[in-house]
Amino acid sequence: MAATIRRIGLTSAWLLVSLISLLPILGIVVGLWPSELVNIADIKPFLAYQGLSVSVFMTLFSAIFSTLISLYIAFMVYSQYHLSRRLQSFEKYLAPLLSLPHLAIALGLVFLFSDGSLFFADSGLPRKGLSTLIIAIVIKEVPFFLLIFSAIGRQLPIKYWLLQGKALGYQDYRCWWFLVFPPLLKQSRLALLAATAYTLSVVDISLLVGPNIPELFAVSVYRWQSSFAAGDQGLAFWSNALLLILLAMSVFILYAHEKFAFAGCKALATQGSRFLIGKINPMFKAWLPMLGLLTAMMVLVFALWSFGLNWHGNWHSDGFALTQLTPKLWQDEWLFFALPLQNSLLIGLLAGLLGVACALLALELQCQKGKYWPDYYWLLAIILPQLSMVLGWQIMHIWYQGGYHSGWIVLSHLPFTFAYAYLVLKGPFQNVEPGYELLAASFGYSAWQSWWQVRFRLLLPAIFTAFAIAFSVSIAQYIPTLMMGAGRVTTITTEAVAIGTGSQQDLIALYVLLQSILPFMAFFVAALLARRFRGSMGGQDVRDY
Amino acid sequence: MLEIIDCQIQAKTWHITLPGIQVHKGELLVVTGPSGIGKSTLLHWLLGNIPQHVVIKGQIMLSGTDITALAIEQRRVGLLMQDVYLFPHLNVQDNICFALPKNPQLSSKKQRRLAALNMLEQINLGHLASRYPQNLSGGERSRVGLIRALANQPQVMLLDEPFAALDPSTREQMGAWAFQQLALQNIPSVMVSHDIEDIPASAKQLCLADYYQALEQK
Repeated sequence: MAATIRRIGLTSAWLLVSLISLLPILGIVVGLWPSELVNIADIKPFLAYQGLSVSVFMTLFSAIFSTLISLYIAFMVYSQYHLSRRLQSFEKYLAPLLSLPHLAIALGLVFLFSDGSLFFADSGLPRKGLSTLIIAIVIKEVPFFLLIFSAIGRQLPIKYWLLQGKALGYQDYRCWWFLVFPPLLKQSRLALLAATAYTLSVVDISLLVGPNIPELFAVSVYRWQSSFAAGDQGLAFWSNALLLILLAMSVFILYAHEKFAFAGCKALATQGSRFLIGKINPMFKAWLPMLGLLTAMMVLVFALWSFGLNWHGNWHSDGFALTQLTPKLWQDEWLFFALPLQNSLLIGLLAGLLGVACALLALELQCQKGKYWPDYYWLLAIILPQLSMVLGWQIMHIWYQGGYHSGWIVLSHLPFTFAYAYLVLKGPFQNVEPGYELLAASFGYSAWQSWWQVRFRLLLPAIFTAFAIAFSVSIAQYIPTLMMGAGRVTTITTEAVAIGTGSQQDLIALYVLLQSILPFMAFFVAALLARRFRGSMGGQDVRDY
Repeated sequence: MLEIIDCQIQAKTWHITLPGIQVHKGELLVVTGPSGIGKSTLLHWLLGNIPQHVVIKGQIMLSGTDITALAIEQRRVGLLMQDVYLFPHLNVQDNICFALPKNPQLSSKKQRRLAALNMLEQINLGHLASRYPQNLSGGERSRVGLIRALANQPQVMLLDEPFAALDPSTREQMGAWAFQQLALQNIPSVMVSHDIEDIPASAKQLCLADYYQALEQK
């Protein structure tokens, strides 16, 4: 009887985690299933759509370029921190930098540096343009890659490769490029693909700081998907198909880049080349402090705006006047942002908790089976274009006549929170020594008790971080919230984007600040909890009675 | 010739003051002693990898030149550790190419690859040239590691328990072969070992425990 219950439980658990991880594929298949409204002839108006080729090229270029630039910057930053004693603080820095949503970074850049902004009258950075979008994405992706490198680096004997390289007469920077970069690049494939897929189909920041004429492809796809005008459903179908082709092209380009970079490093290494360009590595030691400063400035400028800092003209003109800071806007807006804030918190908490729980379940099931499935399978939600999968979910939601409430939004965020939680938890989960649980079993604890009291406790610091990341991911979700909630369920992010397309700067600042505070708080609490827990487990702080 | 002059290793609770040490060309000095006494620390100091947990003072002379203040990459010191750390993205031949010195005779890729292959063939390992480190046995990895270190034409060779990970029979064979190669190259070598069986009869020995002094705790 007990064996039957256990078998049913295991099967149900497998079904649950498989369903969550396969939801993205299901969404894409349903989204691309041609309805009677679509026919092959619709491809003609789609291909003839004005500005399509420029829009597609810009989208592909921004996705690949921003990803690769972020990769190289992150590598050079990592090479400066990996062996230093400041590595610990380097990882601490990453959390607040990671917690700032893309939207806040994009608008922060505009507030600080675009033409006519706080610091520059004519900086050359457009209010809306490809360069602004790429810079915002690079700023956000570099800490992401650093986190990935940090995780990969723990599994590689980088220290000894560098030692061998130096003993063979190579300077530090050449050892990094010739010996560390190729293996690191190979193991970062998934992260590269995730970053590219994100940029390919991101709508919110493309809408707010991306170019206008023509707009980026993701914005067009979203516009057609949500339109009821004659012919737009056909355009939506073909644009979705093209989005997937763009993803396939990105995979090919990233693969070609990897091959090219790998062969290049290998050729330089075997020829004993000097590779002087690598000497720029030390410059990137300044990246993290600069980024920290930039983040602080962004938050400060949002706060000042939302507390009524006004200026007429710009900072440099005589018309600038600093009025007394006032919480008036916060008081006036409270009624309007209270509900979206409550929704964001509720959805973020639930989607974050469920995401972490399901990721732990998926890891435990694989651990029991003794075989881990490839990461690609579990991380489909972050390596496929979001727009295409959410369209399929929306269609299924309409079939089901599910109504519009927060539960559906939580469900639509779950594949993303699950994927990120899985990404964060996999390494720590696999690193837990099986001996601890065996020891607990030898003391008479049941499998469940030893899991809960040993493995779960050992994983707690990682679980707090995974939750903070999953929560931040949920807070920043725009397309799933908007499409599944049909505008009836509003969150701080949907409101921030809606207001961001307008021109009321103080209101934009208030909403973006709110959107940034939520993940920051989550990371802050997670860091506090992780430290407290580690203190009780570390041994050093335990008193010897 | 390698000379170690006035070497002192200072830790919080103990210190070691070594006598003047000379290792001539073709000679092997084996450093022995119990775990934690500073054998590997001494070796890493010779390499130029400054240890953080102890203070080491002294002078290292190599062929009459003071190399104490030089960076690792300027010392021309060969290193073979227990884990050989062959670079996983390079095959055996390319691992050796990486180590070859940069001189006009070895300036082109073709010349370097040929030189690497010749080195492998001289020790009957030519068949391993295109294999990747993951596909080598423990013994093969150690042999390639030593050849890679020698390819760099080092002025001194450092071996940190190089055969500890090998099974007993491979260990014996590998040891005999490695000491023969080192003698052929006629370079001074320093090896750290805690296994007496690893030490060839002709080697000089330096037991750190003989110079160990505990400090009084305040």
